[in-house]
Amino acid sequence: MKNVMIVIISVIVFLLFYLLQVNFFNWFTIAGVSPNLFVILVLFLGLFAGKRLGIPMGIFLGICLDFFIGKKIGISGIMLGIIGGMAGILDKNFSKDSRITLILMTIGVTVTYELGVYILNHLIIATNFELMAFIKILLIEVIYNVIITIILYPILQKAGYYIEDAFRGNQILTRYF
Amino acid sequence: MYKKKTSVVGIIITIVILIILVFISNMKVENLSYIENIISSVVMPIQNGITYLKNKITGNSTFFADISELQAENEQLKKRNSELETTLREFEIVKSENSTLKEYLDLSEQYGNYQTKAAYIISKDISNYSNVFVINVGKNDGIEINMTVISEKGLVGHIISVTDTTAKVQTIIDTASTVSSTITTTRDNLICKGTLEEQGLLKATSIPTTANLVVGDVIETSGMGGIYPKGIKIGTIKSVDNTKNIVDRAAIITPAVDFSKVETVLVIL
Repeated sequence: MKNVMIVIISVIVFLLFYLLQVNFFNWFTIAGVSPNLFVILVLFLGLFAGKRLGIPMGIFLGICLDFFIGKKIGISGIMLGIIGGMAGILDKNFSKDSRITLILMTIGVTVTYELGVYILNHLIIATNFELMAFIKILLIEVIYNVIITIILYPILQKAGYYIEDAFRGNQILTRYF
Repeated sequence: MYKKKTSVVGIIITIVILIILVFISNMKVENLSYIENIISSVVMPIQNGITYLKNKITGNSTFFADISELQAENEQLKKRNSELETTLREFEIVKSENSTLKEYLDLSEQYGNYQTKAAYIISKDISNYSNVFVINVGKNDGIEINMTVISEKGLVGHIISVTDTTAKVQTIIDTASTVSSTITTTRDNLICKGTLEEQGLLKATSIPTTANLVVGDVIETSGMGGIYPKGIKIGTIKSVDNTKNIVDRAAIITPAVDFSKVETVLVIL
């Protein structure tokens, strides 16, 4: 029951992030570049609930995103699914209690996601390939995502431990031994 | 406890830095006069206060006027003010309705030879690398994939997917967009593409070696390619990038439509 509630709340948070991204971060930009809140959401789900929730939620939320505004259905779905899986693997190897580690993870997943989406778009719908311009925008986006992660860190951590307790309550200690 | 306090302070500092970053990055250099405004808005109230006190001290007799008379007058003025505010609000509503209807009328008159359907933009793209938006008309209104979308100023894009009540529009400044175009005066053909390098602008390539590009020249659709009808204004040449090899030269086009402000569009049926 607790698990179902967490999934429902995650979807509500996703919708909230979508509205924020469309309305607020459309003008609240750094040099015209807005952050990507969905990457942070899926990273956080994968880190605390494990890849069993991270991957399906990533794929589901990504496909929803593609339905809302994407040019081709599935591109965001695939990449957010990969981010969910990546987050699960990162959790096994790094501590999520450190702010620095979480920032580095945010940088890693943001770069992976945007690079993946850019390459898939280039291959599937033949977008123009402009590497330098892409890197410039990506760098600003990464900085913006890091700033948002720093701001949200206390909330993410509190909510994260609650999710971890619900999904992996009896596995939390065993992974350290 | 100490750690908690420092982390809160850290978050507040980060938020402040974020806000400053956003403002600085979006600030136009020529708009520095607003700093003057800020300074004057800080200094002027103090200056006003000082002048007021000076006037009082130098024997302004109205200061000691009958207070009850002033109170009655004040009440009367407040009442009148609230009445005027209500009227003003009504006028604002009528004004906004009028401007929307005028916009629709202008659009329909300008493209009178096309059968069109007016639509509102209901959602804009969230990605930094593409430029797609959603409009509030769909299959139920006769909208189909590949239909051309225009605004009163010029070409906007084309429909890439449709639901019963909404449709997605890929704008011409999207990096996946390519429009076959013509220079209105010289009739030279070129290709206009969306670009990440100059966001909100277009890049013209495949320019004929004999073409004479002049800054300010109008670019319109050529009618080739099967999506966009001929003769719809795309924009004007902003700058020409002359390379050593004349075959590779490119031009930057300023779109006729300001994509950051566009709210109403027309779909050519």
